[in-house]
Amino acid sequence: MTNAPMIALQDATKKYDEGPPALAGVTLSVAAGECVAILGHSGSGKSTLLNLIAGLDKPSSGTVTVDGTRVDQLGEAGSAKYRRASIGLVFQFFNLLDDLTVLDNVMVPAQLAGMGKAEAKRRAVELLGSLDIDRHAKAYPQRLSGGQRQRVAVARALMNRPALLLADEPTGALDSSSAEDVRRLLLDLNAEGQTILLVTHDIQLAADTARRTIELVDGAVERDVVNHGSGAGPAARTPLTRPAGEAR
Amino acid sequence: MTLRKPPMPRRLFEVGVHAVARLLPAASPSALGKVVRSGVGRRRLQSLVMALTTFATVTTAMLSLGLLTAVQAPFEHAFGARNGAHLAIQFSSSKVTAAQAAATAHAAGVTEAAGPYPIAAALDTTIGTDCAERAGSDNGPITVSTRPDLGSTSGMDQLALTRGHWPTGPGEIALPSQDFAADCFGDSVVFSSLPGKPSFKVVGFADSVTNSATGFLTADGFARLTAAGAKSDEQMLYRFAKAGTNADIATDKQAVAAAVPAGAVESGQSYLIAEQQATGNAKAYVPFLIGFGILGLFMSVLIISIVVSGAVASGIRRIGILKSLGFTPAQVARAYTAQAMIPATLGLVLGTVFGNLLAVPILGGATQQLGAAGAASATIPLWVSAVVPLGTLLIVGVTALIPALRAGRMPTVRALVVGRAPKAGGGQRAQRLASRLPLPRAMSLGLAQPFARPARTVLVGAAVLFGVVSVTFAVGLETGFNRYLDASTSGFNVASEFVEPTADVGVPWGRYGPNDPRDPHLDADKVAAALAEIEGTKAAFGWGDSGATMVGAPPGGETPEVFTTTGDFSWTGMELLSGRWYSAPGEAVVGDKLASAVGIHVGDDLTVVQQNKQLPLKVVGINFDTNVGDYTVMTDAATFTAAGLTPHIDQFNVELASNVNGAEWSTSAAAALTPLNASVQPNSDGGKNIVVLTMGALVATLTLMMMAVAALGVLSTVVQDTRERAHDLGIFKALGMTPKQTIAMVLTSVSLTGLVAGLIGVPLGVAVEKATLTPMGNAIGRHLPPSVTHTYTAGLLIPLLAGGIVIALLGALLPAGWAARTRTATALRTE
Ligand SMILES: Nc1ncnc2c1ncn2[C@@H]1O[C@H](COP(=O)(O)OP(=O)(O)OP(=O)(O)O)[C@@H](O)[C@H]1O
Ligand SMILES: [Mg+2]
Repeated sequence: MTNAPMIALQDATKKYDEGPPALAGVTLSVAAGECVAILGHSGSGKSTLLNLIAGLDKPSSGTVTVDGTRVDQLGEAGSAKYRRASIGLVFQFFNLLDDLTVLDNVMVPAQLAGMGKAEAKRRAVELLGSLDIDRHAKAYPQRLSGGQRQRVAVARALMNRPALLLADEPTGALDSSSAEDVRRLLLDLNAEGQTILLVTHDIQLAADTARRTIELVDGAVERDVVNHGSGAGPAARTPLTRPAGEAR
Repeated sequence: MTLRKPPMPRRLFEVGVHAVARLLPAASPSALGKVVRSGVGRRRLQSLVMALTTFATVTTAMLSLGLLTAVQAPFEHAFGARNGAHLAIQFSSSKVTAAQAAATAHAAGVTEAAGPYPIAAALDTTIGTDCAERAGSDNGPITVSTRPDLGSTSGMDQLALTRGHWPTGPGEIALPSQDFAADCFGDSVVFSSLPGKPSFKVVGFADSVTNSATGFLTADGFARLTAAGAKSDEQMLYRFAKAGTNADIATDKQAVAAAVPAGAVESGQSYLIAEQQATGNAKAYVPFLIGFGILGLFMSVLIISIVVSGAVASGIRRIGILKSLGFTPAQVARAYTAQAMIPATLGLVLGTVFGNLLAVPILGGATQQLGAAGAASATIPLWVSAVVPLGTLLIVGVTALIPALRAGRMPTVRALVVGRAPKAGGGQRAQRLASRLPLPRAMSLGLAQPFARPARTVLVGAAVLFGVVSVTFAVGLETGFNRYLDASTSGFNVASEFVEPTADVGVPWGRYGPNDPRDPHLDADKVAAALAEIEGTKAAFGWGDSGATMVGAPPGGETPEVFTTTGDFSWTGMELLSGRWYSAPGEAVVGDKLASAVGIHVGDDLTVVQQNKQLPLKVVGINFDTNVGDYTVMTDAATFTAAGLTPHIDQFNVELASNVNGAEWSTSAAAALTPLNASVQPNSDGGKNIVVLTMGALVATLTLMMMAVAALGVLSTVVQDTRERAHDLGIFKALGMTPKQTIAMVLTSVSLTGLVAGLIGVPLGVAVEKATLTPMGNAIGRHLPPSVTHTYTAGLLIPLLAGGIVIALLGALLPAGWAARTRTATALRTE
């Protein structure tokens, strides 16, 4: 592990046109290989925080540095390339592309990054296999259950071996057994060294997967605690992610 | 929504929209009115597109109809008001008696007849010595007639007096104003080819609407003409039950001829020829404008369908809410129709105003400069300004009503539950196929998009198609016009250098007329020999107006000119439409305008007359008339000489060898030519034909409008698409799609449609052009040669085929940029 943090926010503030700031001077740092859960009430700024880290939105003030990149200073194209290379995103409502098959969905990030089709396909098939949904590679997302869809979304997020996996309520739309499924998957990934930032309402999920919990209240960090007792799950069959702390 | 609002002259547009909205009954200050206004406001871009489309359509239609009426109206009005004759027939007095001629009034199909009137056709005239300015000048041939009551305001073919008075004595005559110099009014005209050279004082300017005759005398006056040697025939005037076309008139003429002994009909003149001469070249615009008007109408129907059905598709949820609030289906339908009617009304009001404004230069150009008769009013008739916008409004209303009714009938629950437009399954298969293509992923993603919404794709494809058809049509016409111009300036105008009589240098063309003794001519043999000697001369031929005219040519309007030529002119590119060039004595070639006006075919005989000497000629070819605006006959000078007539050679056209400098050649030629009273004049190319220029400008304007409307159709669809796909766009961006890739995806999504539209549109456009060019040629009395009609070369067609893609890309460019700037974070918030 290197000493430089994977994520470093310095006094990051996000104001929208009206109302109080969505994020109010957040300073935090996440090391490579960590799995951090972000908790908070609805409207407390969790998604906003994730968006800033993913480069989907810009802070009104303060800085966001990920893996040495000043994300807040990237232009449109720069932030797209940054996301492509360093960020995997998983959403509550999956956000799969309905008119693409599961396989094509998973391949898209690699293809956008310019990877050849054959190579992208090899990687996607491998990912789908290790996430145990390769049976559905040719299916369209609407035909899958919520849990299966979220697995596809995770596979897609991992496609470009991102340094950082950001998940916004990944179990929020799932029944309890599917949620359990996804929980285990994230645990596995983290055990392999994948850095994960996880937004959730699900205390159980937070407690099971994350060693560290950050709680936001009205856009500010209220608590930042390290959990004890939660451990990494069983080792994965194949390494899906880059080794923890690999220099970029 | 997550798209950034497009920049737009929003204030002005909204002020207009609200002003119009208040005028519409559907938008009364009720809840419905508010819904409509907010609908128009929310869909500002789409409303602008509809306004612009109706604007362009109305402008085009106004110009088309306006020109049509402005061109046709004066003749038609005069023909109706003066009870013009459909046909004037001249009977040879040696074959029929006046009573026999009069009896033809009962021939089949005749509804009304007048005559017989004594008539003496095509008598050469000069201006009398009492008009010092022009004493002795050639005044062209005049066909003289007398009637019991020249000024009659009842019966057929009422003559109109525009200046002076009717002749009251044997020494007086009335002529059409264009047949006598205005500054010699009150002076005399001399019938110069009659042995007695009788002369008459011009006391009135008067004409027949169909040029049944071009000189009017009292009975005593006419007797003076016949006494001086003029041959008098009998003229009858007819109106028929059926006389709409040339074929009708031909049938009618046969019916009349059948009623008299064979060979008695000397000539017949159809009112259609007079109409042709009156409406002139301006009529050439008509088929083309009708073509554009129809294309424009289709276009606006398409665009309105695209926009309104788009509004319905993306407003399903809103429709559900409206209905759950208690709106009836009829009210919903009305709300959606009104959303189209408001901007459309704005567009058509502006289009009506603009069309009227544009009509001033264009109608002016078309009618006045082209010499159409009665072109005083270069404005669009009021009824056109009423009918076109109201008609368009009706069409817009019906077009909008169809998707609007669908919206009204949509079940509320489904509208509320579905919320968003359902995804089509066709998109999935297309995506699977596209993903196999060796294209960058962003492009293959875009390629499949149109298949997700096939109906919309067909509509936008049709809009592009009409754009391509218009462009192809217009480019073809424009090329045709230019070829026409090139062909029109070939022949007698082709030369490196001209050789003229020295006395003619600097003198306006036709100062004295070909029969005037002062008109200088070249000594053809000597000049030809001299030119052949001069170094650098590659080819030369001589030609001139012999001053002869053709027997049986329609009186009035253009006078046939008989050109005599000497030497080989094959190098000038003069073009034959049929037959061959003359090669033996007694053979002649007739210009296509004269051939179609009189009905001359290859193999026919015709007679030319010079100073009362008749010369029969055999027609061996019809050529594309290079002498714009004239009826021409061409024959070899030797034919004239052999028959004892005098050929005139007024000019030699000289072609220099390619390495010869014109100025140097002129200098060396001067030595040989000066003793022959001949001088060299460089060929300074004349300016472009005004018809061609005006048409070019009109074609360009209308084409740009159609292209803009097609591109607006694409734009509006892509905006609609990007709004609906905002969520997908958000996903793509979250997965690392760059702005460039987004733009590439959006542009690719329209290019297949554009390509297909181009591939279908070009052949259609070619067909439309083919269907239009020939009637346009006919409208100006021309048979167009293949060099003019074969406009589409590979070099032209290939870029045209790409036209569809160009229109599609132009339309998609702006919204592609907006799509690239979609705010991802918000788009991803909801499912
Ligand atoms: N695009 C936006 N424009 C204006 N305000 C916004 C926008 N996005 C978020 N906000 C506001 O910022 C605040 C934080 O929103 P955020 O989505 O980060 O909350 P959250 O913690 O993710 O809530 P939830 O648990 O409901 O997802 C909220 O008050 C929200 O209304
Ligand atoms: Mg959230």
